[in-house]
Parts: sequence; C-alpha cells; structure tokens
Amino acid sequence: MNTDRIRQRTRRISRGIVVGLLGLLYALSLPVWASDTIVVGSKNFMESRLLAEMFAQLIEARTELTVTRRLGLAGTQVCFEALKTGGIDLYPEYTGTGLVTILGEPPMHDRVSVLNRVRTEFLHRWNIWWLAPLGFENSYALALRRDRAQSLGLRTISDLVRVAPHMKAGFGYEFIQREDGLAGLKKSYGLQFQEVIGMQQTLKYQATDKGEVDLLDVYTTDGRLAVYDFVVLKDDRQFFPPYEAAALVRGEILKRHPELGRVISLLTNAIDPTRMRELNLRIQEQGEPVPQVAHSALRALNLVADNHVQPAASTESRDSILSYMWTTRSNLALRTGEHLGLSGLGLFLGILVAIPLGLALERWRRGAEAIIRIIGMLQTIPSIALLAFMIPIFGVGALPAIMALWMYSLFPILRNTYSGLRDAAPNVVETGRALGMTEWQILRTIRLPLAAPTIMAGIRTSAIWTVGTATLAAFIGAGGLGVPIVAGLQLADVNLILSGALPATVLALSVDGLLSRVEQWARPRGLEPVR
Amino acid sequence: MNPWALEIQHVSKQFPDGTYALQNIEWGVKEGETMALIGESGSGKTTFLRLLNRLIEPTTGTVVIQGEPASAQDPIQLRRRLGYVPQDGGLFPHWTIRQNVCLVPHLLGWTLEQQLERVDMLLPLMNLNPSQIAERYPIELSGGQRQRVAVARALAADQPIVLLDEPFGALDPLTRHDLQDQFLSLQARLQKTMVLVTHDMSEAFRLGDRITILKEGCIQQVGTPHQILHAPATPYVHLLVQHYHAHRG
Ligand SMILES: Nc1ncnc2c1ncn2[C@@H]1O[C@H](COP(=O)(O)OP(=O)(O)OP(=O)(O)O)[C@@H](O)[C@H]1O
Ligand SMILES: [Mg+2]
Repeated sequence: MNTDRIRQRTRRISRGIVVGLLGLLYALSLPVWASDTIVVGSKNFMESRLLAEMFAQLIEARTELTVTRRLGLAGTQVCFEALKTGGIDLYPEYTGTGLVTILGEPPMHDRVSVLNRVRTEFLHRWNIWWLAPLGFENSYALALRRDRAQSLGLRTISDLVRVAPHMKAGFGYEFIQREDGLAGLKKSYGLQFQEVIGMQQTLKYQATDKGEVDLLDVYTTDGRLAVYDFVVLKDDRQFFPPYEAAALVRGEILKRHPELGRVISLLTNAIDPTRMRELNLRIQEQGEPVPQVAHSALRALNLVADNHVQPAASTESRDSILSYMWTTRSNLALRTGEHLGLSGLGLFLGILVAIPLGLALERWRRGAEAIIRIIGMLQTIPSIALLAFMIPIFGVGALPAIMALWMYSLFPILRNTYSGLRDAAPNVVETGRALGMTEWQILRTIRLPLAAPTIMAGIRTSAIWTVGTATLAAFIGAGGLGVPIVAGLQLADVNLILSGALPATVLALSVDGLLSRVEQWARPRGLEPVR
Repeated sequence: MNPWALEIQHVSKQFPDGTYALQNIEWGVKEGETMALIGESGSGKTTFLRLLNRLIEPTTGTVVIQGEPASAQDPIQLRRRLGYVPQDGGLFPHWTIRQNVCLVPHLLGWTLEQQLERVDMLLPLMNLNPSQIAERYPIELSGGQRQRVAVARALAADQPIVLLDEPFGALDPLTRHDLQDQFLSLQARLQKTMVLVTHDMSEAFRLGDRITILKEGCIQQVGTPHQILHAPATPYVHLLVQHYHAHRG
C-alpha cells in the first residue's frame, strides 16, 4: 500500500541523514580536542593576521605544540570573547584597545601606565596575560594626502578644526563607534565634519584618489601611508591613547605550556614601527601571502631556520580569476567542504527541530501563530550580530556558526510545515475522518503526503539562505568560502574575493537545483494528471 | 426489539455563528430500509447526515445508532460501520482508485488479497472496469467515474449502514438512470440500511422506500412515495408534488 511506500521512503531518508550527520560531526570536531594544540586567533585585518601568523610559526618552529589558526575573527569583541571562553588561546592585541574597548575605561596617555593598567586588570578579572610589547605602536591617527595638507596648511589636528566643516571624512566603522575614536575626538578637539562616511578599511585609500573623501582614520603602521603619500596629523592634545602591540594569552595555557610564554617573548621589542609598516606594505600592496611575509620576518630576526617554511609558490593573485582559482584549488576545495559542512549541518538540525515542531503546532493550533512569530523574529537578527551573540555561549569556530545557521533555517521550514499540514485538502481530511480514520492516521497518510511539497519548498528556501549566510562564518573562525572573501575584502583583492564568491554562488545554485529535484520527488503522484 | 437502525430524537443543531441548521428533529430509519432525504439547497441535508456519523454533535437531543446512543460509542469504531459518500466524493488525490476503495478494509486490517478481491467485485457493480482504472489516480477519472468510485468505497467494508450525500449528482441522465438501476438491484441483494440525500424528486421516488422532506431545518413529512404523492402533509410538500408532476409532463 501507499503507506508502506511512504514508510520505506522515510526510513531511507532518515538513515542517509544520520550517516551524513555523524560524518560531518566527526570532520568538524577533531582538531580542537587534541590537548597539546594551541589555537591562535587574530582579528580581521592584515596586521593582526600577520602577527598571529608569526606567533603560530614561531610556536611551530620552537616547540612541540601543534597550532590551529583561527584568523580573521570579526573585531575586538569576537576575539576577546573567544579568548575568554577558550575558543582561542592567544591573539595579538593593542594596549589601548584593551583599556578603552575591553575595560571600558577612559583613555590614558602614558604608554607604561596603560600597559600596567591592562596587565593588572586582565590578570585579575580573567586570568589573561599581556606578554611584553612587540616594539611598535599602531595607534589611530588622522591622515590626508600630502598635497592637500600642504595647500591647507595642516600639520596638527587642532589645525583641522578650522577646515573640517568643509571636509568629507571616510572613517572605518569601528572608529566611528569607539569612544577613543570619532566620538571622543569630536569632544576633545571640537571637530565638526561636513560629512562622515562609514567605509571598509581597505577601500578608503582608493576613495581619496577619486576625491570622494578628504580625510581618513589610519593606523600608524599602515604601509599604504607611504604608497599614497599621506601625512599623519600630529595629535597635539594627545587624544589617541597608546596602542602598543602585544600577545594576549590565556593564563591556563601559559601554566600548562610555559614554553609558550618563553617563545612568544622572543618577539619582545623585536619589531619597530618602520619594520611593521614595511611588512604590512608587502601584504597590502605587493600581494605577498601572509605566511610567507611572517616567515621572512621571523627569519630576519633569526628566530626560525631558513628551510622551515615552504614559502608557498606565491599565489599570483594578479592572474586571471580562473587560473588563480586553479592554482588555489586544493584550498578552495577545502573551503567548499567546510562551507557545505556548516550549512548542511545547520540545515539538518533545522529540519530536525522545525518539522516535529510544525507537527506539534498543527495539533496545538492555539499557540501556533505566536510561536511561529517568535521564531520568525530570529530571522530578523542581522547575521553578524547573531554570530556575535553565539560566541559567549559556544566560543568560536564551527559550533557557534552551526548554531546560528540552525536558528536561521528554522523559520521557513516551520512556517511551511505548519501551514502545509493545516491547509492540506480540508475536504479530503474530513472524508478520512468520516470513514473512521484516527487523527494520527489522517496526519500520516493524508496531511503529511499532501503537505510534503510545501514542506520541501520551505527546506529549499532555508537551504539557499543557509548556504548564503555561511560565508559570514569566516568572521568567527569557522572557515568556509567566506574566508577568501573576507581576506579579499581586506586586501581589496578582487581575485581573492571572487575565488570565494564564485564557488559560493555555484554552490547555492546547485543546492537549489538539487532540492528542486527532491521537491519534485516528494510530490505525491496523483496531484496532477499523467501527460 | 428496537426497529430503528438509525434514530434521531429531539435533535436541534445550532452552529456557533447562530445558524439553526436543524430544528427539533424526530426521525428514524428501519433496518434494511432506504430513506431518501430531499430538500432544497441549504435546507440542512448534509448537516443531517453528518449528525449520524458524529462529524457534528447535536446541540440538543440524541442520535441513536443501532439501538445505542451515538454519543456513547467510540466515534472511530462507529464511523467504520457507517459507509459514507461525501457530497464532493472526497477521494484521496494521492491514492490510486484501488487504495481509495480499500480505505476502510485497510483500516479494518483486511489482507491484501481480500482487498483486491473486493475491488474486483465492487467496481463492476458501479459500471467501472477494474483492470482499466484500479491503478489510476482520481484526477485521471471523469467526474462521474469519481462519484461512482466514492460509492464503491462506501460499500467496500460491507458496512450495514450507508450514508450517501448526492452520490449521483454529476451524472448525465442516462448514466444516472443506469446507476439507479444498479443501486436498486444492489439494494435488493444486500438489504442495507441507506440514507440517500438528493434534491431530485424522481430519484427520491425511485430509490427511496420512504422519503423525508426537509425545509429550512424542519421535517415537513416522512412517508412512502405513495403517501407523499397522495397525502402531502404541508403546502410545501404539495408544491413539490405539483412541480414533480409538471416536470414529468
Ligand atoms: N459549519 C457551519 N457553520 C455555520 N453554518 C453552517 C455550517 N455548515 C452548514 N451551515 C449552514 O447550515 C445550513 C444547512 O447546511 P447544509 O450543508 O446541511 O445544507 P444542504 O441541505 O446540504 O445544502 P446543499 O443541497 O446545498 O448541499 C446552511 O444554511 C449552511 O449555511
Ligand atoms: Mg449538502
């Protein structure tokens, strides 16, 4: 009978899903559990990545420890939460950021007192250590093109007050938000701009080329200051707090692996500002891969042996996109695999929860609309925000990303399951009841099969959404095709961006195509005549 | 012994929105009798049938099925004893004709052979060819064929009581006449208790042992065709009879 066929089919599907789930869990969870593994994190800009990569290579070269890299986490909050919760063990941070952003204290202006302050507080509150500074500061500063500065006669920020009302400022989003950024700056100097445009860090310099903005917030170690011939305005009121770079490390891991502290300390005062600017420039403008620059920096300090790192044949990102993707194919395949794993698992968990919930709500209709609306609200939380909320609970990496994707996938499936079951051919349901079917039999043999196409359509919507959103997982170190996209955005490297974006698009399209097939297959025969 | 297979005592039905669909009904069908239920659209015929298989509960009064109050019986078991042809046929679109016909036998746990045998026996009774249509889906049948399948389904488990809501509604006069003949010979053999809703006087006179005439939720008259024709109880029945004669020419 029909019911047997359905039962068989369901059994086949669920077996397949369970096998897939176990495989994915296995693949995603392995590396993090090994106990002598150090997880190095970084924020999502190049200097942070470079310093983290140097830490990582140094640890690999000089200890027995294994290193896992979670580079490119989205911003200070994400990184620090990850450190607190043990998602990562260390990352490069700046003392000023620690004081103002993390501790929420007013800026101080003396290097040593800032360092002492954060050291004491971090140790006391979270057992997190600031190791000795690396030797350079990367403060915020305001900068503009030399010719503009000279024609306007600008040398200090105080000079700027006069002309600012006629200027357009292109500032990074974080700078605009921070107390030691735009807000404090306005208060301290009484600055007023004609317009402030929020911009992605790496696109800002290009924007001044075209004359769209006049003034930028810059990092003092940015290599592009030289390339674009910018002058930094002197902070004559000492508004910007000192931002000394140092490694921030969890106390537990230092206790367990004291050699870690010793090895990182080899970098104490080893990098001066000029050197840092030069290293940044090699990445930003010459497109050298981060690991290669990190290695050559360490080699120049005689901290690693010559033959230690295989400077991966410089992936020529200036090539045509196709040949670029071909040279990086193994990495892309890995990223695609991660991407599929993340979105697949998120979606699978979504199905696992949303369909039974839809079934339950169909039985308990009084509360249904309210619950569906609440789940629908999850959908409206911006993805980045949701990912950030996940970190205090799940740390960084695959788990919080999967959880976020899971929450996103719930709504379309739940909505369609509920309404599909509720609205399935009412006259047929009534006839089944009239002929003596129990409600359970009606659900199983009438409502479910007739609702199957609607439910599948919901799953399909969720799947596409999930595959799309999974690119953001890169921000919390979960990998996936977002990794090249995010890195590419920081480098303004179109090839790098496309090498993530193209496969992501192809992936979304194929998932859609595949699921439309499944949708056809789930459609019971008899709903349209055989042609 | 109680002569009534189906009995309705003092029943009124008011829908939650205030509509009175039936008012103070006193009514009964004898074992093996065919009762035709006739009335204009909206007079309460479908509501009447649905009271009998507990798809609707009466607002007041009692429905008695085979001597026992319906409200005291398990609705699932009760419904499996009452064949039912809904007004629109109500075939399951995703099931084949065979599966549709065998619905109640399947629910009752008959073996597959028994079910197949039943299909091969029932469909010809309805002038349908099993080898042609048994494996088709409802959408691949004509409207009239679907109605006949719905009747076959109501008879499939050999239920002692069958409720039919305008089962021959969508048929052309010839086929309709044909099926009425089939129905009569079937009834002569099976001696089931039937309640047949129709809005066609000549169908009611042909098929019904007795006829119930319903108007605006009230019973106008219950009687044999002879009684209705020769002793109409109310002016409304009188009008119906006149109309019937006029149409027969
Ligand atoms: N669920 C309901 N809620 C409110 N009113 C209803 C409901 N079902 C039926 N009615 C009303 O009850 C009355 C009788 O309806 P019923 O379906 O029994 O008529 P009928 O005699 O079968 O008509 P037809 O010949 O058109 O099928 C109508 O006025 C109808 O609008
Ligand atoms: Mg009706």
